Amino acid sequence: MIEGRLHHVSIIVPDDERVHELAALLGLKLGRRQFVAQYEADCIFTTGSSGVIEFIIAKSGKLSKFNKGMGGLHHIAIAVPDLEVTKQQLAEQGIPLLETKPVDAGPIYINFLAPAYTRGVIVEYVQEVAAQDAAVDGARPLAAEPQAALTTGSDGGRLSERDIFKNARSLRSEGRAEEAALSLREALRRNWLSPEGIEKAGRHIAGFLDESSGKPLDVLVLGQCTTHWVGNCLTAVGWGCGAAVRTVDGQYDNVIQELMNAAASGRRYEAVVLVPWSERLLGGEPGEGAARAAEELAFWQRAWQIVTTQMSSRLIQVGYDWVSPGAMGHHLSARRQGPVQIVRQMNESLQAALPPSAFFVDLDQASGVMGRDQFYDARRYAWTKQPFSEAGAVRLAQHLWSGIRAMINGPKKVLVLDLDNTLWGGVVGETGPLGIEVGDGASGESFKAFQQYAKALSQRGVLLAVSSKNNPADAREPFEKNPALPLKLSDFAAFEANWEPKSAAIARMAKTLQLGLDSFVFFDDNPAEREHVRQMLPEVEVVDVPEEPAQYIRALEAGQWFEALDLTAEDAERTAQYRAEAERRGLQESFASMDDYLRSLDMRGAVREVDEADLPRVVQLLGKTNQFNLTTRRHSLEEVRALLARPRSIGLTVRIADRFADYGLVAVILGVEQEGETAPTLRVDTWLMSCRVIARTVEEFCLNALLHAARERGFERVVGHYLPTKKNQLVADLYDRLGFGRTGEVADNGVGYALDDIAQVSATTFVARQG
Amino acid sequence: MTKDEILEKLQDVFRDVFEDDELTIHRASSADDVEGWDSLMHVSLMINVERAFKAKFSTTQVASLKNVGELVDLLESRQAGASGGPA
Repeated sequence: MIEGRLHHVSIIVPDDERVHELAALLGLKLGRRQFVAQYEADCIFTTGSSGVIEFIIAKSGKLSKFNKGMGGLHHIAIAVPDLEVTKQQLAEQGIPLLETKPVDAGPIYINFLAPAYTRGVIVEYVQEVAAQDAAVDGARPLAAEPQAALTTGSDGGRLSERDIFKNARSLRSEGRAEEAALSLREALRRNWLSPEGIEKAGRHIAGFLDESSGKPLDVLVLGQCTTHWVGNCLTAVGWGCGAAVRTVDGQYDNVIQELMNAAASGRRYEAVVLVPWSERLLGGEPGEGAARAAEELAFWQRAWQIVTTQMSSRLIQVGYDWVSPGAMGHHLSARRQGPVQIVRQMNESLQAALPPSAFFVDLDQASGVMGRDQFYDARRYAWTKQPFSEAGAVRLAQHLWSGIRAMINGPKKVLVLDLDNTLWGGVVGETGPLGIEVGDGASGESFKAFQQYAKALSQRGVLLAVSSKNNPADAREPFEKNPALPLKLSDFAAFEANWEPKSAAIARMAKTLQLGLDSFVFFDDNPAEREHVRQMLPEVEVVDVPEEPAQYIRALEAGQWFEALDLTAEDAERTAQYRAEAERRGLQESFASMDDYLRSLDMRGAVREVDEADLPRVVQLLGKTNQFNLTTRRHSLEEVRALLARPRSIGLTVRIADRFADYGLVAVILGVEQEGETAPTLRVDTWLMSCRVIARTVEEFCLNALLHAARERGFERVVGHYLPTKKNQLVADLYDRLGFGRTGEVADNGVGYALDDIAQVSATTFVARQG
Repeated sequence: MTKDEILEKLQDVFRDVFEDDELTIHRASSADDVEGWDSLMHVSLMINVERAFKAKFSTTQVASLKNVGELVDLLESRQAGASGGPA
C-alpha cells in the first residue's frame, strides 16, 4: 500500500467559461494556472484549505476527447513524498506507472498509475517540488523529457491509429527510429491497429529493418497473384510477435523465374512463401479441369525443387481457393468438376505431393473462417491483381507467420490459464467447488467446452498450467470434487494458486519447466492481469480474451500459437516428462536443504566397464557432448577400441536412475596409464556427462567410480586436463571442485590437474552404487 | 466543401499514406512528384481517400486520374451527386 494524502481532484472542462461558471457556483477561488505540454492542456488549481480541485482545459490531444469531448470528473491525485520511492513500491507489487519518468507540471511532478490496475479509475501521484528539494538524500534528478514513445495516451486510453502513426513518424524524424518501431510493436501486440494500419505498420517496419544493422529473417514471397500487401502484413504480424521479418516479393505470376534468379543470386532466404491463384487453374474450358490441375501440380513441384535443393530455404506453400462457385451454382460446383471441386481436388494433390518438411496454408480454411466476402476484394483484384481485402491479407499473413514460427521456433509450448471466470464461471472461493458454473446452463457449457479444448491441446502435447489468485486449497478443490470438470489436476504441468503477481508465477513456471518465457501463452479473463503480464513479461504472448465465454475458444485459436508441422508420439508424452521434472523441481524448493533434497531423490548409479555392446553409444556421446566434456576428444570407434586394448586402461560407463526417471547411460570416462611417472599414474583421456544430471553429485559419484577402478589396477595417482572450448565452460573448474591440484598449463590453452595419493580419497555423493 | 477545402483534406490523407508530414500537394501534383507513389501505393491512396471522403470510385475513374487536381474535381462532383444535385 502506498501512503499519501489526497492532493487534488481533477475535472476536465471544455473551456474557461465553464471553469468560471463552476467556480462561482461552488464558491471556489481560482489560483495557479499551468500549461502541461505533454498533455496539451491548461491546468487551473483552486486555492483554499478545504481541498484542491484542478480544472483541465484541453483544446487538443487525448484529454480533449475525454468522455466524448464533454469532460467530467477525470482523476484523483495522491500526494507522495518521493515519486521514485512510490514507483519502487508499486513495482514490488508488479504494478507499473504509465510514464517511465516523472512528468514536469510546474511546481509538481506527476505520474499516473497504469489504469488497468484500477479498472479504469485514473489515479495520479504527485510530488511537490518543494518536497523533493527537502529530500534528505539531496536533489534527486527528475528528468522531464517528453514521453513521445508511449503508445498509450496520457489519460491511460489508447491513441487513435492516426496518432500512433503520427507519433511513430515524429520519433523517426528525430532519429529515434528504434523507439518508433517499438511503439508500433506495442500497438500490434495489443491489437490496436485496423487491417489497413497493420499493413502500414509493415511498411514502416520494413523501412526500419532496411536501415537498422540487425539481421532480419528474410522471406521471399512469390505468387500467381500480386503479393505486395501480404508481404508487408507478414512483416507487421511477425514484428508484433517480437520477430524481425523482412519480405521480398517478386513480379506477380513469375514464380519460377523469380525463384531461379533468387537461387542464382546466392542470397539466403529463411523461408519461401508460394501463393497460387486460381485464375490459371480454373481458366480452362469445361472438362479441362483435371489436365489443368496436373499442369499446376507439375509447376509447383518444379518450384519446390528449386526452393528445397538450390536455395535450402524452408517452404511455405499456400493452397488454392475459389471465390465464387461459378455458373453451376453451389450444389453442382462441388460435384460436377465446378470450381469448388477442382480447387478441393487440387489442394488434396498439392498436400499429398508436398515435401514433408513444408508447411501448408490451407487458403480454403483461412478464407472460410473469415468468410470469403470479407477475405477477398474483387475491386483490388481488378486494380492490381491482388485478390485479398486488407483484412484478408492480414489473415493470410497470420497463417504464414504461424507456419514460419512453427518451422523456426516450433509451436508455443505452454498455455497458462486462469481459473475463476476463465475455466469456470464464478469465484470458487465464494461459491465452493460445486457452486461454480461449468457443465450446465448456457455459460456453463461454454466453460466446459473451453476446458475440453484445453484438454485436447494437452493431449496433443501442449503443456497446461494454472496461474490463479486464489487460496491454494480452494483452487484445487473443483478438480478433485466437481465431476463436471473435464480437466483434472493431472492435466496440468504446473499449478500456481497464490496471491503473488502472475508475472512472478509465470517466471517460476518457466524455471521449473525449463522453458523460455517465449514458449508461454497466457489466457486470463481479467484485463488488468493481462496488462500486467504484457508489461512485466513482454516475451509471453497474451491472448485478448473476450468477455463472452462462448468466444474463448475462437479467441485462443485466432493466434494460431500451437500450429505444428506434424504431430509425433513424443509431443503427447512430453507432458508426462515435464510433469516429472516439475515435480522434482517442486520437491527441490520445498526441501530445507539441498542435501535433504538430493537424498530424497533416491538416486542409484550403475558403473560398468565399456564393452562391445556399449561401444556405439559411447562413440555417439563422444561425438555430440559439448558442455560437460573436459577434453572434447571425438574418438572414433576404432580409436576407443584401441585405447581400451592398452594395458591397465580404463573405460567406464555410468547409468543413473532416481525415483522419477531412469536416465540411462549418462557418463563416460576413459583413462590410460601415463608413462614415465615415478608413482603409477592414470591419465584421464575423456570425461563427459549428460547435463540432465548435473549438480546432483553425479560428478562425485563418477570420480569415486574412477578412483575405485584406478586403485583396482594399482594406480596411486590420477592426472587430467581441462581443454577449453566455446561450449565447455561448465566444467572449467570441475577438477578444482573435486579436490585436484593444478599442475600448470598444457597444450591447447588447457590446464593440467593431479590428484595425489588416491588411496584415501572419496567424494561425498548422494548416488548409491548398484552393481 | 469547396475545392480548396477538399485539397486541404487530401493533403492530410497524403501525409498519412506516404508517412511524410512535410508533404505538400497542389492541383498539379502527380505520381512523378511524390516519392513512393507507384501503382501499388496508388491503390492504397485511393482506398484511403475513399475512406476519408466516404466515397467510392470505379476502376475506370481510378485508372484515369492524372493528377491531384483531377482527383479534387472528381471528389467535388461526387459531393454534388451525394447532396442531391445533378449527377
